[in-house]
Amino acid sequence: MAMPPSTGRREAEAVARTVSAERYDRFVRLAQAIFGAPIAALNLIGNDSQFTVASVGFPKGEMPVEDSVCQVTVQQDHALEVRDLREDERFASIPSVTGPPRVRFYAGTPVRGQSGQNIGALCILDLVPRRLGRQQLEMLSDLGALLERELAVQEEMDLAGQVQQLMLPTSAPDIDGVEIAGRVQPAREAGGDYFDWFVVNDPDGHGKRLQVVLGDVMGKGLAASLIASEVRAVLRGHSRYTDVGDAVSRTWMTTHSDLEANDRFSTLWVGRLDPITGELDYLDAGHGLAIIASQRGYRRLTQDYLPLGMPIEETWVKASDVLADDELLVVVSDGVFDVLDDSFDQVEARLGDILDPGLTCRQIVDRIVDFAVSEAATDDVTALAVRRVASS
Amino acid sequence: MSNFNEADQGTYVVLAPEGKFNLVAAPPIKARIDDLVAAGKARIVVDLQAVDFIDSSGLGALIGGLKTARQQGGDVRIAAAGEQVRAVLKLTNLDRILSPYDTVEEALHDW
Repeated sequence: MAMPPSTGRREAEAVARTVSAERYDRFVRLAQAIFGAPIAALNLIGNDSQFTVASVGFPKGEMPVEDSVCQVTVQQDHALEVRDLREDERFASIPSVTGPPRVRFYAGTPVRGQSGQNIGALCILDLVPRRLGRQQLEMLSDLGALLERELAVQEEMDLAGQVQQLMLPTSAPDIDGVEIAGRVQPAREAGGDYFDWFVVNDPDGHGKRLQVVLGDVMGKGLAASLIASEVRAVLRGHSRYTDVGDAVSRTWMTTHSDLEANDRFSTLWVGRLDPITGELDYLDAGHGLAIIASQRGYRRLTQDYLPLGMPIEETWVKASDVLADDELLVVVSDGVFDVLDDSFDQVEARLGDILDPGLTCRQIVDRIVDFAVSEAATDDVTALAVRRVASS
Repeated sequence: MSNFNEADQGTYVVLAPEGKFNLVAAPPIKARIDDLVAAGKARIVVDLQAVDFIDSSGLGALIGGLKTARQQGGDVRIAAAGEQVRAVLKLTNLDRILSPYDTVEEALHDW
């Protein structure tokens, strides 16, 4: 009996693909212990399949939805209890009743998703017919409600992470003569690292510049990502009208009270490149992790400024360098530096891996991020790579 | 209990965290500094001898504690920082406001 696709079923499939089982195993263990049942499971009901995402006494995995008892539970708004599945014509012929493990008793409570529709059920099964009392059925529903809450928190976090990913630039900047790529790998669903790039008009009226940004708000997770979004937006706004030093000064003025109130600070590296001449203005607010590298060696683009959010007032003034046409500008976050033991000797030793001229900027940032992740980075990890190319 | 030692020396308090000073270890230290400052003990030395790794959350706790302590006329000073801690302080220029002393005794010089 195929059901029409619904929002709830689509959501169930999405959750089933991303859910981390350990998170929900404790709920099914708890259900098993409370009700003294040999089997307990969290089943999500998709369009064609039931996904057992957490269970005890029953294998996790996928089965055809028509063989599922929980698919009936999700169509009602209260718990379903069946004393003996063999004596209920809806279930008497499904494989887990006619064959191993030959379940007889079922009780399940529906679990709602973010859409407000049921996406699955928390259930217990027994090999002998039995009945739960009214009080026990209520306990099962309470446990289902707790699980629902846990799912909602997880989905909310995943959504926040998606929103943050969508704030990263994905398309090439609308400016000739430059190749650029960036990547963030947050330690949690969302994080305090971000990068940005956009085209600005030079305030002196000399044409277009590419501005690149890498920011790192202290801490991890949702709270850090909120502050990162603010700093990003404010810097974008100010950058349209002035040079990078002044833009950071104004960003500090605008965000200072929010950083203070939340006891956060943000390192920031901002560069502004003229792709035609290679002239590069930059501002380093306590970030320290930008280099220009080539086969001839590397140099760091650093200044002595503190991160934003410190209890000291500063006046940020830009510095300048030139990016030669065979050089690569690389900016990373401390998540990368940490796995290199916070040592520039280690950075130098690894540079050869990214200086092969056959590599695209995309491949370079992938190499850096994949390396940091493989070295078990515990922090958010971000890399940005830029170089000049012949104008098209 | 949190994984740091505390020694009240009368005119100052020494806090000594161990191992990784990160997102897990930092909040208890920050909370303790806040409580100490509120109790009138605003001169605090964080002895980092047994810390082998600090991240931005650890730095955040120290800077946050320093702000709280300075508002009450005190200070948070750090002592015996290892190589990694010094490298991170230097990288972020935070050694400008949180200068590392070699020993707890040196950190006390004008108290």
